[in-house]
Amino acid sequence: MTSSHGHHAFHLVDMSPWPLTGSISAMMLTTGLVKWFHQFNPDLLILGVTATTLTMIQWWRDITREGTYQGLHTKAVTIGLRWGMILFITSEVLFFFSFFWAFFHSSLAPNVEVGSCWPPAGIQTFNPFQIPLLNTAILLASGATVTWAHHAIMESNHSQAMQSLGITVFLGMYFTALQALEYYEAPFTIADSVYGSTFFVATGFHGLHVIIGSTFLMVCLYRLYKCHFSATHHFGFEAAAWYWHFVDVVWLFLYISIYWWGG
Amino acid sequence: MASLIARSLVLNSRRGVQLTSVRFANKMMADPMEHATGLEKQELLSKAAGNENPFDMRVYKRVSGDQTNPTSVPSFYERRLVGCICEEDATSINWMWLEKGESKRCECGYWFQLADAKPMV
Repeated sequence: MTSSHGHHAFHLVDMSPWPLTGSISAMMLTTGLVKWFHQFNPDLLILGVTATTLTMIQWWRDITREGTYQGLHTKAVTIGLRWGMILFITSEVLFFFSFFWAFFHSSLAPNVEVGSCWPPAGIQTFNPFQIPLLNTAILLASGATVTWAHHAIMESNHSQAMQSLGITVFLGMYFTALQALEYYEAPFTIADSVYGSTFFVATGFHGLHVIIGSTFLMVCLYRLYKCHFSATHHFGFEAAAWYWHFVDVVWLFLYISIYWWGG
Repeated sequence: MASLIARSLVLNSRRGVQLTSVRFANKMMADPMEHATGLEKQELLSKAAGNENPFDMRVYKRVSGDQTNPTSVPSFYERRLVGCICEEDATSINWMWLEKGESKRCECGYWFQLADAKPMV
């Protein structure tokens, strides 16, 4: 072996400023949220979001360079990356579990304050068989196209991978646009009883995750276009696909329990 | 004349179809071995050459292990940490430094010796 790398399969990372800028900007972001909520001044929040975004872009750019251009992602390293993604998605499942808990806590035995019924008295809910059902179909279709993209990558078919991943990103953005329209036309707000609170917190965080997942897939589309992936080296794409399936499954639970059963 | 026109039409349309099919053929991605670089490529190359354990990650089976027949442990360096699982159901590993050139005895009685490790590829 000729490289200066030690005789082992692991990736000992170089010094990096991003953990420091990440910590500082996460602190600014959360403190900025509190400042915004209490003093109606978003300045610190904007600074925090900007600094967090810049940290994310540059940190992941470095990881892309390490994996794609420096060849530091051996089999053993990718196993570590896989475990990281599995544990991250597990933590996300628990995050959404708490919102479902809040929803069922309020809806299974409705308080007298909301009229002892669910949906609460005076709340006009969405028809689950209109836009929400279309959104279900869109996300299910995007799950199929992202699998198509994966098979195309595993068969080294660049053209089909670009097409199918492009369609997946489009479907993700279509979903977001429809949700924005639904929010715009909603006959209730986040301040309308516990229905509005649980509805907008659960579907809002899901929408945020769809935006994150679409961004993740868009980064993969760019990296695919730039030929960063091969038939056996594409964990970045697989992680995005896992995340996308997770977002899809959360939507199915939201649709069934909040839109359909609870609507 | 009519036959000439018909002939050129047929030829031209066929040419168009053939060119179009080439233009719309699927572009393929690089071969994984060509695409890889650095340590990742070395790992792939040594696996392709039949070495399923390029980073020396597996546990070595001890040989009889008396002083004249020590278990040989490969190392790229002058000294290396070696862990001996003294008994089959031992709950801890006995670690020791092994220097190149001299064999060493674990407290359980087995002997070890460093050997020159071969480059991965």
